[in-house]
Amino acid sequence: MRLDLRRYAKPLAESALSVLIGVAVGTLLVILAGYSPVVFFKALFGGAFRSRNAFLDTLSYMVPLTLTAISFAVAARASVFNIGAEGQMYIGALVANAIGVMALPNGAHQVVAILAAFLAGGLWGWIAGILKAKRQVNEVVSTIMLNWLAFYLVNYVATYHLYDPKAPYKTEYVRETARLPELIPRTSLTLDWVLTILIAFLMFFLVWKTSLGYEIRATGINPTAAEYGGVDPSKVISISMFLSGGAGGLAGAFLVLGRFGFITTTLTNILNWGFDGIAVSLVGRNHPIGILFSALFFALLYNGALEVQVATATGGKTGVPIELVLAVMGIIVIAVAVPGLWDMVQERLLLRRKRVEVRGEAAGTVGGE
Amino acid sequence: MSKGQLIGILVVLIVIVAGVWYATRPKAPATPAPTTPAPTTAAPTTTAPPQTTAPPKKVKVAVMFDIGGRGDLGFNDMAWMGAERAKKDFGVEVTYVQPRSEADYIPRLRELAGSGEYDLIIGVGFLLTDAIHQVAQEYPNQYFAIVDSLTPDPNVRGILFKENEGSALVGILAAYVTENNKVGVVLGMEIPVLYHFEAGFYWGVNYVENKTGKDVQIIYKYTGSFIDRALGKQVSEGMLAQGADVLYNVAGLTGLGVLDAVHDFNVQHGKEFGPPFAIGVDSCQDWMYPGHVIASMMKRVDNGVYYAIRDVVYGNFTGGIAAYGIKEGGVGISGLEELQAFMQIAQEMGTELPDAPENIVAKWQQMRAMYPEEVWNTIEEVKQKIISGEIQVPTTDSPEEIQAIRQRYGVGVLGG
Repeated sequence: MRLDLRRYAKPLAESALSVLIGVAVGTLLVILAGYSPVVFFKALFGGAFRSRNAFLDTLSYMVPLTLTAISFAVAARASVFNIGAEGQMYIGALVANAIGVMALPNGAHQVVAILAAFLAGGLWGWIAGILKAKRQVNEVVSTIMLNWLAFYLVNYVATYHLYDPKAPYKTEYVRETARLPELIPRTSLTLDWVLTILIAFLMFFLVWKTSLGYEIRATGINPTAAEYGGVDPSKVISISMFLSGGAGGLAGAFLVLGRFGFITTTLTNILNWGFDGIAVSLVGRNHPIGILFSALFFALLYNGALEVQVATATGGKTGVPIELVLAVMGIIVIAVAVPGLWDMVQERLLLRRKRVEVRGEAAGTVGGE
Repeated sequence: MSKGQLIGILVVLIVIVAGVWYATRPKAPATPAPTTPAPTTAAPTTTAPPQTTAPPKKVKVAVMFDIGGRGDLGFNDMAWMGAERAKKDFGVEVTYVQPRSEADYIPRLRELAGSGEYDLIIGVGFLLTDAIHQVAQEYPNQYFAIVDSLTPDPNVRGILFKENEGSALVGILAAYVTENNKVGVVLGMEIPVLYHFEAGFYWGVNYVENKTGKDVQIIYKYTGSFIDRALGKQVSEGMLAQGADVLYNVAGLTGLGVLDAVHDFNVQHGKEFGPPFAIGVDSCQDWMYPGHVIASMMKRVDNGVYYAIRDVVYGNFTGGIAAYGIKEGGVGISGLEELQAFMQIAQEMGTELPDAPENIVAKWQQMRAMYPEEVWNTIEEVKQKIISGEIQVPTTDSPEEIQAIRQRYGVGVLGG
């Protein structure tokens, strides 16, 4: 128990320190722009606590953030650098939208749409996984390419097939039977929030309490050793990329079924959550519970970004422009993501050094004979 | 890193933060609020402000942009201008909110309405329609206004513009100016508002065809974006390559790429003046590339916003449709007065002009003088007829009807 606490204390302390560094640098920016840093940061971090509904709306931002972060984390645990959550999310959103406009009974409708989105996102992720496993295609390159492929595919289907004839800039609304119900009326907090929390715990269970999870982590730490231990790394990599893509697909499905009910033909209402997820995951140290806290932190900032504009507009003065708010947020996020990133890079370097040593020893033995 | 080092860094940080805090605390943060110029030529107010003797109370207004936001030197900046002018004229307090993503629309509108602090909440742009409609239903005692759209709620004013009327005027100009007998329209996302531009422009081109016997081909393209300047340039280059020599920008920030493309094309071909020409939109964009932007279809979003705030200040705000055409000063074609006014505004907003103002004006006058009186007289004549109601320019909100209109005028899609 004592040991456990220590394990969590280090990342927590590092994160807290990083936030402080981010705030310190951000403070300079805010002062240079001529605003009060006190008002600024009070609104940025505290805006979500202004009212009950503001807080609940803020919680709702956790949904896409958590899921896309899990998408990144599951792959990262198998040492795959998946930056394809964005595209996987597009695919999931499209599939959920397409099924959402069909006629199905309430209850079954949501389940079918969500499962189909999971499957479709999963397959999209699996493509990059199988390419890496069988052909050693670098997943960074393939997922970036798949993101664009997904963007234009969804763009095409939305523009020519799923579009709303009355409003061709967006797809048709999903039917009421496919919508996820509001948890609390007049907020954006819908049932998907509960599902998201469950999925985070499910990931924890899967990665830390099952043999598949053990194989994923073993492959992530050292694929050669894992293979020696009887694990099939190519299988593990493709499975983890499938799960990863599935989480991305769910993010898209929940944005459509829980929040918007449609996607715009140029995807403007769902853009970027996939990339945000990478940062959320790094801050959460690729751990599902860490991710939940990190997603909450990001959600607070996202609410704060708008609150700052309102809070700084007093006495006839124009509020802080969003560009400055985003810049300060970016500084804080980078500062907070650095320790997690540093750990990841160090592990990889350590691994490489070990491999070189092992190879060197092996060569030495051969030479000796 | 040892524990000592860690504590050391922490202490240093705390000292820095505390120091900065202290340094900034005493003096009230005083940034000069961006000043808007006096509405010198602005606001051709045919609807004069209703006079009341009672001193207006301190009114608070919130303006919410869509994710495109400020900096387009057009639509959104115009809305900002209108609010700033109202701030100056009526002493109202204005809070601007720029969402980070579309997921922010509904939660933030609820926040603003729920706070009960604002007398009026203005949504800038069609894409906010659904969000405003939903929140307006939840807060029936809160006044809203939405630019470029309308909702069925009695507490929402739909600020609409008769873009078809203004577009007809620039359509006439385009048809006269084109030498290759081919003109292009570069549009943003396919929303009903843009059909008004299309319908009016096609009508204007057709008007000249009937009058002079010229046969002008029109191509159009929806880029799907209001915020992608590079995309606008790319699409425009495609149209220029096909020989179109007047391009109408109907795409917000994306449309600035139309101006870029035309200017670059002329520079590459060693031409100081068009054709090809660009036609600006929303604000007067003639000054951006002097000699390359023949005119702008001015859509006075600033007036629409200003009127909405004014009506709240004087207590006679009404929901429903407020439509502004040529007659009401809502739309029009840019002239010398507008050119000078908007150059001044651009300067005061901190935008650098491409040349000294007097040089821009000289070049602009030289450009306009390239075309005979007949052209400008025809435009003026049609303008007067629209005002008197003698001419009614067609328009539509429906995808099917605009399709029929395109067919009627033989309009083709770029690359289609």
